[in-house]
Amino acid sequence: MLGVVPPRPMLSLDRLGTVIAILIGVALFAAPFATYRATRIASGQSRLLIEALPFTMSAVVAIVALAVAAGAAIVRDPLGRLGSAVIGLAVLLPSLGLSAGYLTPADNTFARVSPSTGFWLLTAAFSILAIDALARMRLGPYGRLAALAVGISAVALLLFSGIWNELSILKEYHTRADTFWREARQHLVLAFGSMAVACLLGIPIGIAGHRFRTLRIAMLQGLGIVQTIPSIALFGLLMAPLGALAASVPLAAALGIKGIGAAPAFIALVLYALLPIVANTIAGLSQVPASVVDAARGMGLSERQRLLEVEMPLALPVILAGIRIVSVQNLGLATVAALIGGGGLGTFVFQGIGQTAIDLVLLGALPTVGLSFVASIVLDALVDIAKGALA
Amino acid sequence: MIEIEHLTKRYGTNTVVEDVSFEVEEGTLTVVVGTSGAGKSTLLRMINRLVEPTSGRVLIDGEDTRRIPEDTLRHRIGYVIQGYGLFPHRNVADNIATVPRLLGWDRKRIAQRVEELLDLFQLDPAEFARKFPHELSGGQQQRVGVARALAARPALLLMDEPFGALDAVIRAKAQDDLLAIQRRLGTTIMLVTHDMNEAFHLGDRIAVMDQARLLQYASPAELLMHPADDFVERLVGTAERPFRLLSLAKVQEAVEPGAAEGEPIAVSDSLHDALSRLMWTGHRALPVADAKGAIIGRVSVDGILEHGRSLP
Ligand SMILES: Nc1ncnc2c1ncn2[C@@H]1O[C@H](COP(=O)(O)OP(=O)(O)OP(=O)(O)O)[C@@H](O)[C@H]1O
Ligand SMILES: [Mg+2]
Repeated sequence: MLGVVPPRPMLSLDRLGTVIAILIGVALFAAPFATYRATRIASGQSRLLIEALPFTMSAVVAIVALAVAAGAAIVRDPLGRLGSAVIGLAVLLPSLGLSAGYLTPADNTFARVSPSTGFWLLTAAFSILAIDALARMRLGPYGRLAALAVGISAVALLLFSGIWNELSILKEYHTRADTFWREARQHLVLAFGSMAVACLLGIPIGIAGHRFRTLRIAMLQGLGIVQTIPSIALFGLLMAPLGALAASVPLAAALGIKGIGAAPAFIALVLYALLPIVANTIAGLSQVPASVVDAARGMGLSERQRLLEVEMPLALPVILAGIRIVSVQNLGLATVAALIGGGGLGTFVFQGIGQTAIDLVLLGALPTVGLSFVASIVLDALVDIAKGALA
Repeated sequence: MIEIEHLTKRYGTNTVVEDVSFEVEEGTLTVVVGTSGAGKSTLLRMINRLVEPTSGRVLIDGEDTRRIPEDTLRHRIGYVIQGYGLFPHRNVADNIATVPRLLGWDRKRIAQRVEELLDLFQLDPAEFARKFPHELSGGQQQRVGVARALAARPALLLMDEPFGALDAVIRAKAQDDLLAIQRRLGTTIMLVTHDMNEAFHLGDRIAVMDQARLLQYASPAELLMHPADDFVERLVGTAERPFRLLSLAKVQEAVEPGAAEGEPIAVSDSLHDALSRLMWTGHRALPVADAKGAIIGRVSVDGILEHGRSLP
């Protein structure tokens, strides 16, 4: 055949963008935007976008969402895609607050409005578009941290401006603001405190494991087994010995160590965190090129100097990757601590389940998800910065 | 002077180096050659005690190395390996400064020394000092590796296949540079290779090893004329022997009186190079010039061939 050039498509569609556009279409026309409840535990009634907002406002949301859908499918320039996603979010997020005010009858303090499938799908679609655009822009670690800071500021602005105050989840928050911050702090102490302890233990164990083969095999196998124990079972397993300890050693009891509460949760989190940290420390040290270690020895660096000046800096990105895994894992697992009286944001999740108050569940779950998201972006950036310092 | 006395290394029942003794003169370059697994690296690494000998000892300027603390000993001995082992997280200047810093030199002295070495190895300090190893070519990495080993002015430099990773052209240049630097600094060098050409090109003395034993330790010419046994004879290459001899001899040794037509050959060139020029240009003889360019005689094909014979 002669060189027949296939006709250029008039309009080339972006694959991910098309999926996002379809998602937006479904969210707009086939899914409820908000849920109305007469009381916080009454069963919910769905409200479509057109019912959830005054007509002009719902028209604005629909038009903007459709424009973003079209943009996602057609526009290729990442900056344009990011811009349209940001505009979409800037219209959508405040509109939820307006909807809550609009749907709640005047002077009714019992009625609750929460976001529903349509809102979540739109938020997801815009966020995926924004994250994909950021990924295509190939931001360096500092750029990603800056983007994260902008995102956090925007969410903080929405929360503190009061525009969302009529939403059910914020009403749940306002009735228990004190407990919320206490449990949030407890959650962070559980997740990051146990991570810190795991680093203090795990990195030296990893260093020793790198040097001594038998120790390495024993540690990795032992910790591997711990990882396979379901969290609730591990909490249970720790309750008996800690209870016995508290009963027989007054000092332990005085320190607040009991069979139930924060102590077994904290210890279980440390145990879970040890494997990734020990394993990554060993992996990081063993990928240091043999010639580099040999040259260091040959030049007369002492064992200590070799470890601190050569091996650890070169292993750092891999160790940080382990810490990243642990931070996300611990933020999630710390939720379960509430089951044995350990506190943390899980408290609201389990209270909410008990009361069938979905918004209370979200009050515990959403901050947890947000924290994991932030932690993974920050640590990813740190890994890249550490790698950059090596490259 | 380095005296190696009855050095032996065993791993379990496997003898890797067996009763090796020889002496290395101050300021000379000794090459250790042998087939793979002969124990060359192990021998070298017993000198800076990266490997502890099973028995035997090493004396450096009469001092038993076992008396010197390991790290102190290694600060005094330069060490270059195949692949160089540059620190990937440190720039060129910091890599070179490694041993001076361990020795606690002050900042200014270190900076001066780094600059001096970069100049010596033809690496412009302004361009290279802040570069990281991955930003360098193989040849540049090699030069930084040697510069780093020489930083604290060691009297002895150990090199384990330092040119193994270089292509032929860069390798020849690196070998010539090493010779020039060695002549200039007077450093004693022990170099391991399994490349016979490299051994003959660089070595003042050559130690031939096979299966853990030292078979012969002699000057290159001696090795060619009187190989200790069949293995050495095969290793030096029967076919290449006359050419190797010619490479070792200088034009100086074959100058004859008389005149000749053509571009003069330098008196410091090797006979190998001279023969090659004669064959290529089709002359039977060419004039010979001394360092100042004055013609001091001629060198002929017949005269050169005399030098390639086993019996003079
Ligand atoms: N740490 C060790 N444990 C056991 N055997 C070893 C050890 N180091 C070296 N050997 C053995 O000693 C022998 C000599 O090794 P060496 O590295 O000295 O050889 P080489 O002459 O340098 O070889 P190559 O030219 O391949 O580098 C080899 O058979 C090797 O397997
Ligand atoms: Mg070797």
